[in-house]
Amino acid sequence: MKMMEVTALSKSFDTVNAVNNLSFSLKEGRCTALLGPNGAGKTTTLEMLAGLLVPTKGTILFMGSNQADYREHIGYLPQQPVFFSWMNAVEYLVFMGELSGMAKATAASRADELLELVGMADAKKRRIGGYSGGMKQRLGIAQAMIHEPKLLILDEPVSALDPVGRRDMLEMMKRLKGHMTILFSTHILHDAEEVCDDVMMIHKGELAVAGSLPELRRNYLENIIIISAEESLDTWARTLERWTVITEVRVRNNTLELFVSDLDKARSQLLAEITEKKIPISSFTVGSTTLEDLFMKVVGK
Amino acid sequence: MNKWLVLFRKEWLEMVRNYKVIWLPLVFVVFGLLQPITLYYLPDILKNAGNMPEGTVIKIATPSSGEVLCETLSQFNQMGILVIVLAFMGIVAAERRSGMMKMILVKPVTYTSYILSKWVSALLLTFVSLSLGMLAAWYYTILLIGSFPFVDLAQGTGIYFIWISFLLTFTLFLSSRLKSSGLIAALALLLGIVLSLVTPLLEKWMKWSPAQLTGAASSLLTEGAAQGNVLLPLTITILLTALFLYLAVREP
Ligand SMILES: Nc1ncnc2c1ncn2[C@@H]1O[C@H](COP(=O)(O)OP(=O)(O)OP(=O)(O)O)[C@@H](O)[C@H]1O
Ligand SMILES: [Mg+2]
Repeated sequence: MKMMEVTALSKSFDTVNAVNNLSFSLKEGRCTALLGPNGAGKTTTLEMLAGLLVPTKGTILFMGSNQADYREHIGYLPQQPVFFSWMNAVEYLVFMGELSGMAKATAASRADELLELVGMADAKKRRIGGYSGGMKQRLGIAQAMIHEPKLLILDEPVSALDPVGRRDMLEMMKRLKGHMTILFSTHILHDAEEVCDDVMMIHKGELAVAGSLPELRRNYLENIIIISAEESLDTWARTLERWTVITEVRVRNNTLELFVSDLDKARSQLLAEITEKKIPISSFTVGSTTLEDLFMKVVGK
Repeated sequence: MNKWLVLFRKEWLEMVRNYKVIWLPLVFVVFGLLQPITLYYLPDILKNAGNMPEGTVIKIATPSSGEVLCETLSQFNQMGILVIVLAFMGIVAAERRSGMMKMILVKPVTYTSYILSKWVSALLLTFVSLSLGMLAAWYYTILLIGSFPFVDLAQGTGIYFIWISFLLTFTLFLSSRLKSSGLIAALALLLGIVLSLVTPLLEKWMKWSPAQLTGAASSLLTEGAAQGNVLLPLTITILLTALFLYLAVREP
C-alpha cells in the first residue's frame, strides 16, 4: 500500500530550481531516508509534502487521493524547530495536540506519555525558553507525534544532537518504524543505513538514486576483490580484463582491485587460477563499495 | 471554530504572559486620568510656577466636561495610536520571521482562522484598553468638573473605536505581508497621520475619510450630537476595514 505518491514535483524560487521533476512513492510502514548534500532540495521537498509550500508543478497523492487536506495525518519536524519560549513543554504539546484536532484531556495524557518517551519528563513544567538545543529537538519530535500521525516527516532530526542524543533518536526511530511511515532527511549516510528501509538520493533537486537498501546494495554497490602478491601482477591483470565477471581492473604496485559483477563465480574462478598458475599471493580480500562511495559518485566528487 | 478557539486562547495566554494585557490598558488609563486632572489643577500649577509678576491674576475658564473628554480623545489619537501600532506591529510578522507560523500551519489549521484569532484578540484588547481609558477620564471629569451623560460617552467612544479598528486592521494586514516590524509601524503610523492631517485641510474632498470619525466623536462629546454626515465615513471605514481583513487572510 502506498502512503504517498509524488509525481513530477518541481519547485522554483525566482531563478533557482530547488526541486526538479521529482517522482517517488512512500510505502506504508517503511522508513525512507532522503539523502543529499547541502542545498540539494531536501527541505524544500519535505515542506511541499507537509503542505507548507505550494509546488510549482507536480502532484502529491496521499493515500490515493489528491483532494483532501491530509495535514491531520502527518507529523512534521522542521530542520530548525521553534517554540513559544513562554510556554512549558506540556502546554506546548497540548496546544499542538488541540490544533491537530485532539480533545484537551486526550492531548494532555498523550503529552505526558510522549515526554516520558523522549526523556523529558523532568523538565516538562519548565519554560521552553530555558531549554538546550537537544531538549528542543526532543520536544520537536514529541510535537510531531502528538496526534499519532500516519506519516512522520523529519528534517534532519539528528544533526543538532550530541552523540548520546543522536543514539537515542535513532533508537526511537527504529521503535517507531513499525507503527508509522517515516520519511527523514539527513546527510549522515551511516544513520540512513542504520535505520531506514528505503533510500532516495537527490542532487541539485533531481532524484539520482532510489530503492530499498538491499536493492541499492545489489544494483549499485559493487563487489570488489583485492589481491596482493609478492611480485608484480601486471601481466596477469591484463588477462583478467577480458573476463566477463570482472567489470574493472585497477592495478597499484603489487595490488589488484577487481570490481566484479558476480562475486561467487569470480571468487572461485580466481582462486582456481591462482592455484593453477601458482601466483604467489599474500592476501585475498572480498568486500564491497559503501553507500558513501555511491553518494560521492552521485554528487560527482 | 474549535481550532480557532484554541488559537484565540493561545493569543490571550501570550498577552497575559508578556504583560500586554496589563500595560496596554494601563497606558490608556493613565492618559485618560491625566487630562481632567491637569485641566482642573492648571490654574494652581501656573500660580505655583512662581515666575509671574506680582499681582498677576490668572483667569482660565474651567473647560466643560465635554471639552475635557474631547481633549482626552485627541490624546488617545496621538499616544494611543502609537502604542497600539507598536504593540501589534509584529503580531503576524514576528511569528513568520521566527518560523513559528510554519510549526502552526503544518497542523490542520486554516490560515484564515490563524489570522482571525489574532485580529479578534488584538481588537478585543484594544477595545478594553480604550474603554477603560475613557471610563477613567469620565470618572475624574465627573469628580472634578461636572456630570456628563454616559450615553454620549459610549457613543463617542464607540465611533472612535471604529477608526482605531481600521488602523489596527491595517497594521495587521501590513504585518501579514511585510517582514520588518519597523516598516510596518512606519507605514501604519503614516496612514494615521496623513489621514488625520489631510482630512481637515481638504474638508470638501475628504468627506468619506475614516479620520472624519475622530471629528464626529469629538463633536458627540462636546455638543452631544455628531456634526455633518457620519454615515458616509462610517460606511467607508467599515468597508475598508473589511477589505484589509480580507487581504490579510489571503495567504501571500
Ligand atoms: N525561500 C527560498 N527562496 C529562494 N531560494 C530558496 C528558498 N528556499 C530554498 N532555496 C534554494 O533552494 C535550494 C534547496 O534548498 P533546501 O533548503 O531545500 O536544501 P537542503 O537540501 O535542505 O539543504 P541543507 O542540507 O543545507 O538543509 C537551495 O539552493 C536554496 O538556496
Ligand atoms: Mg535542509
